[in-house]
Amino acid sequence: MARFIDLVFRAILLAGLYATMAYGLGLIYGVLRVVNLAHGGILMAGAYLGWILFDTWHIDPYLSIPIVLAASFLFGAALYRVLVVHLPRGAAGGPASLLLLFGVWLVLRNAAYWLFTGDDRTIRTAYSTRAILVAGSYLEVSRLAVLAIAVLVPIVLHVLLRRTYLGMAIRAVAQNPDSCAVVGIDVGRIYTITFGLGTALAGLAGLLWATIFSFNPSSGGSELLKSFVVVVLGGLGSTFGVAIAALIVAAAEVFAILVLPSYLTSAVGFVLLVLVLVLRPGGLFGQRVLG
Amino acid sequence: MIGRIPRGGAAGCAAAVALLAAAPVVLDLTPYSHNLLTLAFLMIAGALAWNWMGGYVGQVSFGHAIMFGIGGFVSARLVLSGALPAPLAWIAGGLVGGVAALGAHPMLRLRGPYFSIATIGVGEAARLIFTYWESFTGGSSGLSLPIDPILKYQLYWWSLWLAAGVAAASWLMRRSTLGLQLLAIKSDVEAAADVGVSATFYQDLVFCLSGAVVGLTGALYASYFAYIEPADLFGFDRSIGFVLMAVIGGLGTPFGPILGAVVFVLLRQSLLATYPQLYLGLYGGLLIVIILFEPLGLTGLGLRTARLVRRLRASRSAARAA
Repeated sequence: MARFIDLVFRAILLAGLYATMAYGLGLIYGVLRVVNLAHGGILMAGAYLGWILFDTWHIDPYLSIPIVLAASFLFGAALYRVLVVHLPRGAAGGPASLLLLFGVWLVLRNAAYWLFTGDDRTIRTAYSTRAILVAGSYLEVSRLAVLAIAVLVPIVLHVLLRRTYLGMAIRAVAQNPDSCAVVGIDVGRIYTITFGLGTALAGLAGLLWATIFSFNPSSGGSELLKSFVVVVLGGLGSTFGVAIAALIVAAAEVFAILVLPSYLTSAVGFVLLVLVLVLRPGGLFGQRVLG
Repeated sequence: MIGRIPRGGAAGCAAAVALLAAAPVVLDLTPYSHNLLTLAFLMIAGALAWNWMGGYVGQVSFGHAIMFGIGGFVSARLVLSGALPAPLAWIAGGLVGGVAALGAHPMLRLRGPYFSIATIGVGEAARLIFTYWESFTGGSSGLSLPIDPILKYQLYWWSLWLAAGVAAASWLMRRSTLGLQLLAIKSDVEAAADVGVSATFYQDLVFCLSGAVVGLTGALYASYFAYIEPADLFGFDRSIGFVLMAVIGGLGTPFGPILGAVVFVLLRQSLLATYPQLYLGLYGGLLIVIILFEPLGLTGLGLRTARLVRRLRASRSAARAA
């Protein structure tokens, strides 16, 4: 029973991380109809940025959140302005945007190899190993902090999209960019900001990831897939849907330990991805417009 | 524009194949260039077959390594057990690769990024499963095949015939009604269905053919290198390789992937020796440049140069006439 509760906690904490990763991917797809295949690479880059800040400048990973957010926002905005803006979007664009962003991922991956070698890294703070006892199982402080931030992210995102002029503009552009241009919304600027926000969330997720797990330049591939399955399953419509989907994916992975040999548990996410895409491509709650 | 071939092109292609076939005998190739050419032939066959799905139908697969690996390991197992002579084992590997590709049937109604991402997932799951299926693949230590120097020498020609055959098939496929049907599916699935072109049937057919060729390629690869491991044959880098070769050469063009495969193999070989970890980044940069400036890759670049030359020549002769 104690083991069961332990696994439940583990799933909830992991779900928080998955949800944060997925919001970034979902936001960009919802507004620009582009699947950001560089998502995994940006996650990895965010992790390395947090690691450098901690390792050389001794900035606590939680204090470096604003730096990582700003840096990945700028990177994403630049990525949009320099590369993605030139591509045809949507179904008519074909595989162009997919291949382009895949190229960006390869470049990021290799840049990381070049700069940091292929060794595994982790951010180990003084309190990384500290844990508190809750209901008979030990919870690591760093995982709880990640969960707290993961709960905060959708709330902030929700307020941003629902309560601000920028958010309204983003939602309007997601629905119909042409009409937006007619009523005087700078669509190009909204796209740039959205792409920046999406990558900022990916960078944040990478930083949080680095405080719990180890990473190396090839990390990010399975995170991209998991983000995608969460976005598809949860639908773009609701922050709530994404949270539930993240919980389902995390729980499936965590509880697979009980029935599968350990080396196969990492395949669970991939199998789930294919099942979801084939059986419920419209998501659990149906696809709704962003917001 | 894409499907047409200049007059005398067929004769030129035949001459190129004949030259390459005579090369080992006439030129007394070093083992290094013999090796490189054989590898290039195999990659040409794989890239062309990938292009049927990724270029003609427009479904970019990041999972072709599955069929490559299955073809390789099935034929290796058959050779090791002594059940079949090598050429029959290769064919068996190709057939099993084709059948395995049919397993993608439920995924083929996904389009665009959905399909591509699903193939990443299946590819990674397959890599894990085959790596831990030790009784079949030998696990992470892999399988060693009996080394047969004569067969290895002959595999140069086997690979050449395979590459030439697949190139001819690519061209025929492009020129046939099938090619037009695939183009219709690529442009608009629903409109294609309205005129009686079933996306389900043709995608299954092409994916099966593509899988069979890639499986056959994997089988020849296994025999040639005489040592195979799941991390190489089923690896994500292997799948990416097919994508890159086709895109560099010219996505959806019948012969572009040949150029792409040659460039890919040469670059890889020279970079692996000098900067082993950096070659993927270079390909990534190449991918970005191609998508932004020349979506048809080297083929597009060639066509553009040919147009430029023609225009220059026309203006020069016009100036002379005046």
